[in-house]
Amino acid sequence: MAWLDLNIQVIHDALVSGQTTPLALTEEALARAQLDTCNSFECLTAEQALAHARTLTVPEPNNLFWGIPYVLKDNFSTTAIPTTAGSNILNGYIPLYDATVYAKLKAANAILIGKTTLDELAMGGTGMTGHKGWQYNPYDEKKERLIGGSSSGSAAAVASGIVPFSLGSDTGDSVRKPASYAGLVGFKPTWGRISRYGLFPFAPSLDHVGYFTRTVDDAASLTTLLSGQDDQDATATNQTLPPLILSGNVKGLRIAVIEQVIRSIKDQTILKRFEETLVALTLAGAHVEYVQFPLPLLNAIYPTYMTISCAEATSNNANLDGLRFGPGYQGKTYQDVMMQARTEGFSELIKRRFVIGSYVLMRENQHDLFLRAQRVRRLIVDTLNEIYQHADVIYLPAAPTIAPKFTDSSDRLSSEYLIGDSHLALGNFAGLPSITIPLGFKDGMPFGGNVMGKAFAEFTTLEVAKAIETITGLANLSVRNRSQV
Amino acid sequence: MKPIDKPLLVDASTRLLFTMTDNQYELLITEFDILLKQMALIGQIINVDHLEPMTFPFAIQGSPMRQDVAGPTLTQAQALTNVSQQLDGQIKLPKVVG
Repeated sequence: MAWLDLNIQVIHDALVSGQTTPLALTEEALARAQLDTCNSFECLTAEQALAHARTLTVPEPNNLFWGIPYVLKDNFSTTAIPTTAGSNILNGYIPLYDATVYAKLKAANAILIGKTTLDELAMGGTGMTGHKGWQYNPYDEKKERLIGGSSSGSAAAVASGIVPFSLGSDTGDSVRKPASYAGLVGFKPTWGRISRYGLFPFAPSLDHVGYFTRTVDDAASLTTLLSGQDDQDATATNQTLPPLILSGNVKGLRIAVIEQVIRSIKDQTILKRFEETLVALTLAGAHVEYVQFPLPLLNAIYPTYMTISCAEATSNNANLDGLRFGPGYQGKTYQDVMMQARTEGFSELIKRRFVIGSYVLMRENQHDLFLRAQRVRRLIVDTLNEIYQHADVIYLPAAPTIAPKFTDSSDRLSSEYLIGDSHLALGNFAGLPSITIPLGFKDGMPFGGNVMGKAFAEFTTLEVAKAIETITGLANLSVRNRSQV
Repeated sequence: MKPIDKPLLVDASTRLLFTMTDNQYELLITEFDILLKQMALIGQIINVDHLEPMTFPFAIQGSPMRQDVAGPTLTQAQALTNVSQQLDGQIKLPKVVG
Protein backbone atom coordinates (compact mmCIF):
# COMPACT_ATOMS: atom_id res chain seq x y z
CA MET A 1 0.00 0.00 0.00
CA ALA A 2 1.36 3.44 -0.96
CA TRP A 3 1.68 6.18 1.65
CA LEU A 4 -1.10 8.26 0.09
CA ASP A 5 -3.55 5.44 0.77
CA LEU A 6 -2.99 5.82 4.50
CA ASN A 7 -3.96 8.46 7.04
CA ILE A 8 -2.21 11.69 8.00
CA GLN A 9 -0.60 10.34 11.17
CA VAL A 10 0.98 7.36 9.37
CA ILE A 11 2.19 9.50 6.46
CA HIS A 12 3.65 11.97 8.96
CA ASP A 13 5.58 9.19 10.69
CA ALA A 14 6.94 8.08 7.32
CA LEU A 15 8.03 11.64 6.49
CA VAL A 16 9.76 12.10 9.81
CA SER A 17 11.56 8.77 9.56
CA GLY A 18 12.66 9.56 6.02
CA GLN A 19 10.74 6.74 4.34
CA THR A 20 9.22 9.26 1.95
CA THR A 21 9.49 12.98 1.19
CA PRO A 22 7.05 15.83 0.56
CA LEU A 23 8.23 15.93 -3.05
CA ALA A 24 7.65 12.21 -3.59
CA LEU A 25 4.18 12.45 -2.04
CA THR A 26 3.30 15.51 -4.10
CA GLU A 27 4.47 13.92 -7.34
CA GLU A 28 2.46 10.80 -6.57
CA ALA A 29 -0.66 12.81 -5.65
CA LEU A 30 -0.41 14.84 -8.86
CA ALA A 31 0.10 11.68 -10.92
CA ARG A 32 -3.01 10.17 -9.36
CA ALA A 33 -4.94 13.41 -9.91
CA GLN A 34 -4.05 13.28 -13.61
CA LEU A 35 -5.73 9.86 -13.76
CA ASP A 36 -8.87 11.06 -11.96
CA THR A 37 -12.03 9.69 -13.58
CA CYS A 38 -14.52 11.39 -11.25
CA ASN A 39 -14.22 14.98 -12.52
CA SER A 40 -12.92 16.01 -9.11
CA PHE A 41 -10.88 19.05 -10.06
CA GLU A 42 -11.52 22.64 -11.04
CA CYS A 43 -7.78 23.04 -11.41
CA LEU A 44 -4.51 21.44 -10.38
CA THR A 45 -1.81 23.61 -8.85
CA ALA A 46 1.07 21.39 -9.93
CA GLU A 47 3.70 24.06 -10.41
CA GLN A 48 3.11 25.75 -7.06
CA ALA A 49 2.75 22.41 -5.27
CA LEU A 50 6.02 21.01 -6.59
CA ALA A 51 7.85 24.27 -5.86
CA HIS A 52 6.46 24.22 -2.32
CA ALA A 53 7.41 20.56 -1.82
CA ARG A 54 10.99 21.18 -2.96
CA THR A 55 11.43 23.72 -0.16
CA LEU A 56 10.52 21.14 2.50
CA THR A 57 13.72 19.30 3.29
CA VAL A 58 13.89 19.20 7.08
CA PRO A 59 11.03 17.21 8.64
CA GLU A 60 9.11 18.76 11.52
CA PRO A 61 8.28 15.99 14.02
CA ASN A 62 5.78 18.17 15.90
CA ASN A 63 3.92 19.37 12.81
CA LEU A 64 1.53 16.67 11.63
CA PHE A 65 0.71 18.45 8.38
CA TRP A 66 4.26 19.14 7.19
CA GLY A 67 4.55 17.96 3.59
CA ILE A 68 1.10 16.35 3.40
CA PRO A 69 -0.73 16.91 0.06
CA TYR A 70 -4.38 17.98 0.16
CA VAL A 71 -7.09 19.73 -1.88
CA LEU A 72 -9.54 22.55 -1.24
CA LYS A 73 -13.10 22.98 -2.41
CA ASP A 74 -13.13 25.78 -4.97
CA ASN A 75 -15.17 28.13 -2.78
CA PHE A 76 -12.20 28.93 -0.53
CA SER A 77 -10.29 32.05 -1.48
CA THR A 78 -6.71 31.31 -2.55
CA THR A 79 -4.28 34.05 -3.52
CA ALA A 80 -3.11 33.80 -7.14
CA ILE A 81 -5.12 30.62 -7.73
CA PRO A 82 -8.39 30.89 -9.70
CA THR A 83 -11.48 30.45 -7.53
CA THR A 84 -14.84 30.01 -9.24
CA ALA A 85 -17.18 28.33 -6.73
CA GLY A 86 -18.26 26.20 -9.68
CA SER A 87 -20.02 29.14 -11.33
CA ASN A 88 -19.42 30.73 -14.71
CA ILE A 89 -19.97 34.15 -13.20
CA LEU A 90 -16.60 33.75 -11.44
CA ASN A 91 -14.65 32.35 -14.37
CA GLY A 92 -11.21 33.89 -14.35
CA TYR A 93 -11.50 35.35 -10.85
CA ILE A 94 -8.17 35.22 -9.04
CA PRO A 95 -8.42 36.16 -5.36
CA LEU A 96 -6.07 38.61 -3.71
CA TYR A 97 -6.28 37.08 -0.26
CA ASP A 98 -6.24 33.69 1.45
CA ALA A 99 -9.08 32.11 3.37
CA THR A 100 -7.99 31.72 6.98
CA VAL A 101 -8.14 27.92 6.82
CA TYR A 102 -5.92 27.95 3.73
CA ALA A 103 -3.50 30.34 5.43
CA LYS A 104 -3.29 27.98 8.41
CA LEU A 105 -2.62 24.95 6.21
CA LYS A 106 -0.05 26.93 4.26
CA ALA A 107 1.66 27.98 7.49
CA ALA A 108 1.74 24.32 8.54
CA ASN A 109 3.40 23.49 5.20
CA ALA A 110 0.64 21.22 3.98
CA ILE A 111 0.81 21.14 0.19
CA LEU A 112 -2.17 22.24 -1.88
CA ILE A 113 -2.27 20.24 -5.11
CA GLY A 114 -5.59 21.50 -6.50
CA LYS A 115 -9.03 23.02 -6.13
CA THR A 116 -12.05 20.74 -6.36
CA THR A 117 -15.38 20.80 -8.14
CA LEU A 118 -18.66 21.53 -6.40
CA ASP A 119 -22.31 22.26 -6.95
CA GLU A 120 -22.59 25.81 -8.24
CA LEU A 121 -22.00 28.28 -5.39
CA ALA A 122 -22.28 25.24 -3.06
CA MET A 123 -26.07 25.39 -3.52
CA GLY A 124 -26.84 21.75 -4.28
CA GLY A 125 -26.63 18.27 -2.90
CA THR A 126 -25.87 16.11 -5.90
CA GLY A 127 -22.56 17.14 -7.44
CA MET A 128 -24.46 17.63 -10.70
CA THR A 129 -24.88 21.40 -10.94
CA GLY A 130 -21.40 22.93 -11.09
CA HIS A 131 -20.10 24.53 -14.29
CA LYS A 132 -17.69 21.61 -14.89
CA GLY A 133 -20.45 19.01 -15.06
CA TRP A 134 -21.16 15.95 -12.92
CA GLN A 135 -18.87 14.38 -10.33
CA TYR A 136 -18.84 10.60 -10.15
CA ASN A 137 -18.64 8.18 -7.25
CA PRO A 138 -15.31 6.32 -7.47
CA TYR A 139 -16.85 3.20 -5.90
CA ASP A 140 -19.16 2.82 -8.90
CA GLU A 141 -17.11 1.70 -11.87
CA LYS A 142 -20.10 2.06 -14.19
CA LYS A 143 -20.22 5.78 -13.36
CA GLU A 144 -23.95 5.62 -12.75
CA ARG A 145 -23.93 6.91 -9.18
CA LEU A 146 -23.32 10.36 -7.78
CA ILE A 147 -21.06 11.11 -4.86
CA GLY A 148 -23.25 13.81 -3.39
CA GLY A 149 -22.66 17.48 -2.92
CA SER A 150 -22.01 20.15 -2.67
CA SER A 151 -18.43 19.21 -1.69
CA SER A 152 -18.40 16.57 -4.42
CA GLY A 153 -14.87 16.94 -5.80
CA SER A 154 -13.31 17.07 -2.34
CA ALA A 155 -15.05 13.81 -1.41
CA ALA A 156 -14.10 12.11 -4.68
CA ALA A 157 -10.43 13.13 -4.36
CA VAL A 158 -10.04 11.50 -0.94
CA ALA A 159 -12.15 8.46 -1.78
CA SER A 160 -10.05 7.96 -4.93
CA GLY A 161 -6.85 7.93 -2.88
CA ILE A 162 -5.43 11.07 -4.45
CA VAL A 163 -4.94 12.89 -1.14
CA PRO A 164 -5.44 11.87 2.50
CA PHE A 165 -7.65 14.85 3.34
CA SER A 166 -9.60 17.68 1.79
CA LEU A 167 -11.61 20.71 2.86
CA GLY A 168 -15.24 21.37 2.03
CA SER A 169 -18.11 23.46 3.29
CA ASP A 170 -21.35 22.29 4.86
CA THR A 171 -24.57 24.37 4.88
CA GLY A 172 -27.15 21.55 4.99
CA ASP A 173 -25.09 18.36 4.85
CA SER A 174 -22.60 19.14 2.07
CA VAL A 175 -19.68 17.37 3.74
CA ARG A 176 -21.44 14.75 5.86
CA LYS A 177 -23.75 13.32 3.16
CA PRO A 178 -21.00 12.88 0.53
CA ALA A 179 -18.87 11.29 3.25
CA SER A 180 -21.57 8.65 3.69
CA TYR A 181 -21.73 7.97 -0.05
CA ALA A 182 -17.93 7.88 -0.35
CA GLY A 183 -16.89 5.76 2.65
CA LEU A 184 -15.16 8.67 4.37
CA VAL A 185 -15.07 10.48 7.65
CA GLY A 186 -16.78 13.86 7.17
CA PHE A 187 -16.71 16.34 10.04
CA LYS A 188 -18.00 19.83 10.63
CA PRO A 189 -17.19 21.25 14.07
CA THR A 190 -19.39 23.68 15.98
CA TRP A 191 -20.53 26.87 14.19
CA GLY A 192 -17.96 29.47 15.25
CA ARG A 193 -15.18 26.97 16.00
CA ILE A 194 -13.44 27.60 12.67
CA SER A 195 -13.10 30.92 10.86
CA ARG A 196 -15.06 31.25 7.65
CA TYR A 197 -13.06 34.21 6.40
CA GLY A 198 -12.47 33.59 2.71
CA LEU A 199 -15.17 30.93 2.40
CA PHE A 200 -17.67 32.21 -0.17
CA PRO A 201 -20.90 32.64 1.79
CA PHE A 202 -23.98 30.67 0.81
CA ALA A 203 -26.14 31.05 3.95
CA PRO A 204 -23.96 32.38 6.78
CA SER A 205 -26.31 31.40 9.58
CA LEU A 206 -25.90 27.79 8.42
CA ASP A 207 -22.46 27.70 6.74
CA HIS A 208 -19.63 25.68 8.32
CA VAL A 209 -16.12 24.68 7.28
CA GLY A 210 -15.84 20.88 7.13
CA TYR A 211 -13.39 18.24 5.98
CA PHE A 212 -13.01 14.74 4.62
CA THR A 213 -10.46 12.35 6.15
CA ARG A 214 -9.92 8.60 6.33
CA THR A 215 -9.88 8.36 10.11
CA VAL A 216 -11.56 10.07 13.04
CA ASP A 217 -8.13 10.85 14.50
CA ASP A 218 -7.26 12.82 11.36
CA ALA A 219 -10.51 14.78 11.68
CA ALA A 220 -9.51 15.60 15.27
CA SER A 221 -6.06 16.75 14.14
CA LEU A 222 -7.54 19.07 11.52
CA THR A 223 -9.92 20.52 14.11
CA THR A 224 -6.98 21.35 16.36
CA LEU A 225 -5.10 23.00 13.50
CA LEU A 226 -7.95 25.00 12.00
CA SER A 227 -9.93 26.16 15.04
CA GLY A 228 -9.60 29.45 16.85
CA GLN A 229 -10.52 33.09 16.94
CA ASP A 230 -9.92 35.18 13.85
CA ASP A 231 -9.84 38.97 13.67
CA GLN A 232 -11.23 38.67 10.15
CA ASP A 233 -14.36 36.76 11.20
CA ALA A 234 -16.47 38.07 14.08
CA THR A 235 -18.27 34.71 14.30
CA ALA A 236 -15.05 32.80 15.04
CA THR A 237 -14.73 32.20 18.75
CA ASN A 238 -11.76 31.65 21.02
CA GLN A 239 -13.73 29.12 23.09
CA THR A 240 -11.24 26.61 24.49
CA LEU A 241 -10.73 23.46 22.48
CA PRO A 242 -9.49 20.66 24.74
CA PRO A 243 -6.74 18.33 23.49
CA LEU A 244 -8.43 15.96 21.06
CA ILE A 245 -6.53 12.81 21.99
CA LEU A 246 -9.04 10.07 21.34
CA SER A 247 -9.37 6.63 22.86
CA GLY A 248 -12.91 5.75 21.79
CA ASN A 249 -14.04 5.46 25.38
CA VAL A 250 -17.84 5.68 25.51
CA LYS A 251 -18.34 4.28 29.00
CA GLY A 252 -21.18 6.17 30.66
CA LEU A 253 -21.95 8.32 27.61
CA ARG A 254 -25.63 8.74 26.75
CA ILE A 255 -26.47 8.13 23.09
CA ALA A 256 -29.89 9.19 21.77
CA VAL A 257 -31.47 7.68 18.64
CA ILE A 258 -34.42 9.58 17.13
CA GLU A 259 -37.09 6.96 16.55
CA GLN A 260 -38.96 8.85 13.81
CA VAL A 261 -35.80 9.15 11.71
CA ILE A 262 -35.11 5.43 12.02
CA ARG A 263 -38.71 4.65 11.02
CA SER A 264 -38.34 6.74 7.86
CA ILE A 265 -35.42 4.59 6.66
CA LYS A 266 -36.42 1.48 4.71
CA ASP A 267 -33.06 0.02 3.72
CA GLN A 268 -32.70 -3.11 5.85
CA THR A 269 -28.94 -3.46 5.27
CA ILE A 270 -28.32 0.03 6.62
CA LEU A 271 -30.71 -0.45 9.55
CA LYS A 272 -29.20 -3.81 10.48
CA ARG A 273 -25.64 -2.50 10.43
CA PHE A 274 -26.67 0.58 12.40
CA GLU A 275 -28.37 -1.55 15.06
CA GLU A 276 -25.29 -3.79 15.30
CA THR A 277 -23.19 -0.75 16.15
CA LEU A 278 -25.76 0.26 18.79
CA VAL A 279 -25.39 -3.14 20.43
CA ALA A 280 -21.61 -2.85 20.35
CA LEU A 281 -21.72 0.66 21.81
CA THR A 282 -23.93 -0.63 24.62
CA LEU A 283 -21.47 -3.45 25.30
CA ALA A 284 -18.73 -0.81 25.44
CA GLY A 285 -20.56 0.92 28.26
CA ALA A 286 -22.68 3.54 26.51
CA HIS A 287 -26.34 4.09 27.41
CA VAL A 288 -28.46 4.00 24.26
CA GLU A 289 -31.96 5.43 24.35
CA TYR A 290 -34.56 5.85 21.61
CA VAL A 291 -36.11 9.33 21.86
CA GLN A 292 -39.09 11.04 20.25
CA PHE A 293 -38.99 14.08 17.96
CA PRO A 294 -42.37 15.48 16.82
CA LEU A 295 -43.01 14.36 13.25
CA PRO A 296 -44.35 17.75 12.06
CA LEU A 297 -41.06 19.33 13.07
CA LEU A 298 -39.01 16.70 11.26
CA ASN A 299 -41.19 17.22 8.18
CA ALA A 300 -40.49 20.94 8.49
CA ILE A 301 -36.70 20.57 8.22
CA TYR A 302 -36.53 20.67 4.44
CA PRO A 303 -38.87 23.61 3.73
CA THR A 304 -37.35 25.54 6.62
CA TYR A 305 -33.89 24.94 5.21
CA MET A 306 -34.96 25.91 1.69
CA THR A 307 -36.63 29.11 2.83
CA ILE A 308 -33.79 30.33 5.02
CA SER A 309 -30.93 29.24 2.77
CA CYS A 310 -32.46 30.68 -0.43
CA ALA A 311 -33.20 33.99 1.31
CA GLU A 312 -29.68 34.30 2.68
CA ALA A 313 -28.12 33.22 -0.62
CA THR A 314 -30.08 35.78 -2.62
CA SER A 315 -28.73 38.53 -0.42
CA ASN A 316 -25.17 37.21 -0.12
CA ASN A 317 -24.63 36.77 -3.83
CA ALA A 318 -25.80 40.24 -4.81
CA ASN A 319 -22.13 41.21 -5.06
CA LEU A 320 -21.66 38.89 -8.06
CA ASP A 321 -22.27 41.73 -10.47
CA GLY A 322 -19.90 41.02 -13.35
CA LEU A 323 -18.06 44.28 -12.67
CA ARG A 324 -15.69 43.34 -9.87
CA PHE A 325 -15.61 39.60 -10.60
CA GLY A 326 -15.61 37.27 -13.53
CA PRO A 327 -15.13 37.58 -17.26
CA GLY A 328 -15.60 41.01 -18.84
CA TYR A 329 -19.20 41.18 -19.91
CA GLN A 330 -20.04 44.15 -22.13
CA GLY A 331 -22.81 46.71 -21.96
CA LYS A 332 -23.56 50.39 -22.42
CA THR A 333 -24.57 50.90 -18.80
CA TYR A 334 -23.48 49.16 -15.63
CA GLN A 335 -27.00 47.75 -15.38
CA ASP A 336 -26.52 46.21 -18.84
CA VAL A 337 -23.24 44.64 -17.71
CA MET A 338 -24.79 43.25 -14.52
CA MET A 339 -27.85 41.94 -16.34
CA GLN A 340 -25.71 40.18 -18.90
CA ALA A 341 -23.25 38.83 -16.35
CA ARG A 342 -25.93 37.43 -14.07
CA THR A 343 -28.05 36.08 -16.93
CA GLU A 344 -25.14 34.26 -18.56
CA GLY A 345 -23.12 33.58 -15.42
CA PHE A 346 -25.71 31.85 -13.26
CA SER A 347 -27.20 28.50 -14.15
CA GLU A 348 -30.94 27.94 -14.28
CA LEU A 349 -30.92 26.28 -10.86
CA ILE A 350 -29.23 29.22 -9.16
CA LYS A 351 -31.64 31.69 -10.74
CA ARG A 352 -34.60 29.67 -9.50
CA ARG A 353 -33.15 29.59 -5.99
CA PHE A 354 -32.56 33.34 -6.02
CA VAL A 355 -36.13 34.04 -7.15
CA ILE A 356 -37.42 31.81 -4.34
CA GLY A 357 -35.21 33.72 -1.92
CA SER A 358 -36.48 37.03 -3.26
CA TYR A 359 -40.10 35.90 -2.98
CA VAL A 360 -39.86 34.81 0.65
CA LEU A 361 -38.22 38.13 1.50
CA MET A 362 -40.91 40.28 -0.18
CA ARG A 363 -42.57 42.56 2.35
CA GLU A 364 -45.97 40.90 1.80
CA ASN A 365 -44.51 37.41 2.37
CA GLN A 366 -41.84 37.88 5.00
CA HIS A 367 -44.05 37.24 8.00
CA ASP A 368 -45.69 34.09 6.64
CA LEU A 369 -42.60 32.62 5.00
CA PHE A 370 -39.16 33.86 5.99
CA LEU A 371 -39.85 34.90 9.57
CA ARG A 372 -42.05 31.85 10.13
CA ALA A 373 -39.24 29.60 8.88
CA GLN A 374 -36.85 31.31 11.29
CA ARG A 375 -39.31 30.75 14.15
CA VAL A 376 -39.77 27.11 13.21
CA ARG A 377 -35.98 26.79 13.13
CA ARG A 378 -35.90 27.99 16.73
CA LEU A 379 -38.61 25.51 17.74
CA ILE A 380 -36.68 22.67 16.08
CA VAL A 381 -33.48 23.72 17.85
CA ASP A 382 -35.28 24.05 21.19
CA THR A 383 -36.60 20.50 20.73
CA LEU A 384 -33.11 19.30 19.89
CA ASN A 385 -31.70 20.95 22.99
CA GLU A 386 -34.33 19.20 25.14
CA ILE A 387 -32.95 15.88 23.88
CA TYR A 388 -29.44 17.01 24.85
CA GLN A 389 -30.63 17.57 28.42
CA HIS A 390 -30.58 13.79 28.73
CA ALA A 391 -28.06 12.80 26.06
CA ASP A 392 -24.44 13.51 25.14
CA VAL A 393 -24.82 12.76 21.43
CA ILE A 394 -27.45 11.83 18.86
CA TYR A 395 -26.51 8.92 16.62
CA LEU A 396 -28.32 8.06 13.36
CA PRO A 397 -27.67 6.64 9.90
CA ALA A 398 -26.20 9.50 7.86
CA ALA A 399 -28.39 8.77 4.84
CA PRO A 400 -31.32 6.45 4.11
CA THR A 401 -29.64 4.83 1.10
CA ILE A 402 -26.33 4.23 -0.61
CA ALA A 403 -25.35 6.82 -3.23
CA PRO A 404 -28.30 7.26 -5.62
CA LYS A 405 -28.03 6.87 -9.36
CA PHE A 406 -27.91 10.02 -11.48
CA THR A 407 -31.14 8.93 -13.14
CA ASP A 408 -32.91 9.00 -9.77
CA SER A 409 -31.56 12.39 -8.71
CA SER A 410 -32.39 16.00 -9.40
CA ASP A 411 -31.90 19.34 -7.76
CA ARG A 412 -35.43 20.32 -8.62
CA LEU A 413 -37.73 20.62 -5.64
CA SER A 414 -39.70 17.48 -5.02
CA SER A 415 -42.87 16.91 -3.06
CA GLU A 416 -41.43 13.57 -1.97
CA TYR A 417 -38.52 13.51 0.38
CA LEU A 418 -37.45 11.44 3.34
CA ILE A 419 -36.82 12.66 6.82
CA GLY A 420 -33.84 10.33 6.72
CA ASP A 421 -32.47 12.42 3.86
CA SER A 422 -32.87 15.77 5.62
CA HIS A 423 -32.02 15.23 9.28
CA LEU A 424 -28.34 16.19 8.98
CA ALA A 425 -29.48 19.81 8.54
CA LEU A 426 -30.37 19.75 12.25
CA GLY A 427 -26.65 20.17 12.88
CA ASN A 428 -26.66 23.34 10.77
CA PHE A 429 -29.82 24.77 12.33
CA ALA A 430 -28.27 24.42 15.79
CA GLY A 431 -24.60 24.80 14.76
CA LEU A 432 -23.63 21.50 16.39
CA PRO A 433 -20.49 19.39 15.82
CA SER A 434 -21.49 16.54 13.53
CA ILE A 435 -19.43 13.72 12.06
CA THR A 436 -20.16 10.99 9.52
CA ILE A 437 -18.19 7.74 9.73
CA PRO A 438 -18.34 4.66 7.48
CA LEU A 439 -20.64 1.88 8.71
CA GLY A 440 -20.58 -0.68 5.93
CA PHE A 441 -21.13 -1.55 2.28
CA LYS A 442 -24.13 -2.57 0.20
CA ASP A 443 -23.75 -3.67 -3.41
CA GLY A 444 -20.15 -2.50 -3.25
CA MET A 445 -21.19 1.01 -2.23
CA PRO A 446 -20.39 2.50 1.19
CA PHE A 447 -22.83 3.97 3.68
CA GLY A 448 -22.26 5.83 6.93
CA GLY A 449 -23.57 6.78 10.34
CA ASN A 450 -23.62 10.23 11.91
CA VAL A 451 -22.85 11.39 15.43
CA MET A 452 -23.98 14.88 16.49
CA GLY A 453 -22.91 16.34 19.80
CA LYS A 454 -23.58 19.43 21.87
CA ALA A 455 -22.20 22.80 20.86
CA PHE A 456 -18.44 22.98 21.43
CA ALA A 457 -18.40 19.35 22.63
CA GLU A 458 -16.16 18.16 19.79
CA PHE A 459 -14.23 15.84 22.08
CA THR A 460 -17.25 13.76 23.11
CA THR A 461 -18.58 13.75 19.54
CA LEU A 462 -15.26 12.49 18.20
CA GLU A 463 -14.89 9.94 21.01
CA VAL A 464 -18.18 8.27 20.03
CA ALA A 465 -17.18 8.40 16.36
CA LYS A 466 -13.83 6.81 17.20
CA ALA A 467 -15.61 4.05 19.12
CA ILE A 468 -17.80 3.32 16.10
CA GLU A 469 -14.75 3.32 13.83
CA THR A 470 -13.16 0.75 16.14
CA ILE A 471 -16.33 -1.36 16.10
CA THR A 472 -16.62 -1.39 12.30
CA GLY A 473 -12.91 -1.55 11.56
CA LEU A 474 -13.60 0.75 8.60
CA ALA A 475 -10.67 3.17 8.81
CA ASN A 476 -8.43 4.24 5.93
CA LEU A 477 -11.02 3.52 3.27
CA SER A 478 -10.48 4.44 -0.36
CA VAL A 479 -11.20 2.69 -3.63
CA ARG A 480 -7.52 1.75 -3.80
CA ASN A 481 -7.55 -0.28 -0.60
CA ARG A 482 -11.16 -1.46 -0.29
CA SER A 483 -10.13 -5.06 -0.94
CA GLN A 484 -8.01 -4.94 2.19
CA VAL A 485 -10.86 -4.04 4.59
CA MET B 1 -49.02 36.33 0.47
CA LYS B 2 -48.54 37.47 -3.09
CA PRO B 3 -50.03 34.98 -5.58
CA ILE B 4 -47.46 33.29 -7.81
CA ASP B 5 -47.76 34.02 -11.49
CA LYS B 6 -45.38 34.66 -14.33
CA PRO B 7 -45.48 38.51 -14.19
CA LEU B 8 -44.52 38.36 -10.51
CA LEU B 9 -41.59 36.06 -11.23
CA VAL B 10 -40.46 38.16 -14.20
CA ASP B 11 -40.51 41.22 -11.96
CA ALA B 12 -38.53 39.37 -9.26
CA SER B 13 -35.87 38.13 -11.68
CA THR B 14 -35.57 41.59 -13.26
CA ARG B 15 -34.99 43.09 -9.83
CA LEU B 16 -32.36 40.41 -9.27
CA LEU B 17 -30.76 41.54 -12.55
CA PHE B 18 -31.10 38.42 -14.67
CA THR B 19 -33.51 37.07 -17.24
CA MET B 20 -35.00 33.60 -17.55
CA THR B 21 -36.65 31.71 -20.39
CA ASP B 22 -40.35 30.89 -20.56
CA ASN B 23 -39.59 27.24 -19.79
CA GLN B 24 -37.57 28.24 -16.74
CA TYR B 25 -40.45 30.34 -15.44
CA GLU B 26 -42.84 27.42 -15.92
CA LEU B 27 -40.54 25.12 -13.96
CA LEU B 28 -40.20 27.75 -11.28
CA ILE B 29 -43.99 28.01 -10.93
CA THR B 30 -44.05 24.22 -10.43
CA GLU B 31 -41.35 24.49 -7.78
CA PHE B 32 -43.24 27.23 -6.00
CA ASP B 33 -46.31 25.03 -5.95
CA ILE B 34 -44.29 22.35 -4.15
CA LEU B 35 -42.51 24.77 -1.84
CA LEU B 36 -45.70 26.54 -0.79
CA LYS B 37 -47.39 23.21 -0.04
CA GLN B 38 -44.45 22.34 2.19
CA MET B 39 -44.54 25.79 3.74
CA ALA B 40 -48.21 25.19 4.45
CA LEU B 41 -47.09 22.28 6.62
CA ILE B 42 -44.92 24.71 8.52
CA GLY B 43 -47.93 26.99 8.83
CA GLN B 44 -49.76 24.23 10.69
CA ILE B 45 -47.12 24.04 13.40
CA ILE B 46 -48.55 25.67 16.48
CA ASN B 47 -46.88 27.67 19.22
CA VAL B 48 -44.33 29.46 17.07
CA ASP B 49 -45.72 32.99 16.82
CA HIS B 50 -44.30 33.99 20.18
CA LEU B 51 -40.80 32.76 19.31
CA GLU B 52 -38.02 35.10 18.31
CA PRO B 53 -36.92 34.39 14.72
CA MET B 54 -33.60 32.52 14.79
CA THR B 55 -31.00 34.38 12.76
CA PHE B 56 -27.92 32.43 13.88
CA PRO B 57 -27.37 29.27 15.96
CA PHE B 58 -26.25 30.99 19.15
CA ALA B 59 -24.57 34.15 20.36
CA ILE B 60 -20.83 33.88 19.84
CA GLN B 61 -18.80 34.40 23.00
CA GLY B 62 -15.09 35.14 23.08
CA SER B 63 -14.74 37.08 19.87
CA PRO B 64 -13.54 40.51 21.00
CA MET B 65 -13.45 43.48 18.64
CA ARG B 66 -10.09 43.75 16.95
CA GLN B 67 -7.92 46.79 17.50
CA ASP B 68 -8.58 49.69 15.16
CA VAL B 69 -5.21 49.67 13.49
CA ALA B 70 -4.42 50.01 9.82
CA GLY B 71 -3.66 46.76 8.04
CA PRO B 72 -2.07 46.10 4.67
CA THR B 73 -3.86 47.47 1.62
CA LEU B 74 -3.80 46.43 -2.03
CA THR B 75 -1.29 47.91 -4.41
CA GLN B 76 -2.63 49.42 -7.63
CA ALA B 77 -1.38 46.42 -9.59
CA GLN B 78 -3.13 44.02 -7.22
CA ALA B 79 -6.37 45.99 -7.40
CA LEU B 80 -6.31 45.69 -11.20
CA THR B 81 -5.57 41.95 -11.22
CA ASN B 82 -9.12 40.84 -12.00
CA VAL B 83 -10.19 43.84 -14.01
CA SER B 84 -11.06 43.12 -17.63
CA GLN B 85 -11.02 46.73 -18.80
CA GLN B 86 -8.48 49.28 -17.60
CA LEU B 87 -7.70 52.85 -18.57
CA ASP B 88 -4.71 54.83 -17.28
CA GLY B 89 -4.21 52.43 -14.39
CA GLN B 90 -7.82 52.62 -13.29
CA ILE B 91 -10.87 50.36 -13.61
CA LYS B 92 -12.88 51.32 -16.68
CA LEU B 93 -16.64 51.13 -16.16
CA PRO B 94 -19.62 52.02 -18.31
CA LYS B 95 -20.74 55.63 -17.97
CA VAL B 96 -23.06 56.18 -15.04
CA VAL B 97 -23.83 59.89 -15.49
CA GLY B 98 -24.26 61.82 -18.73
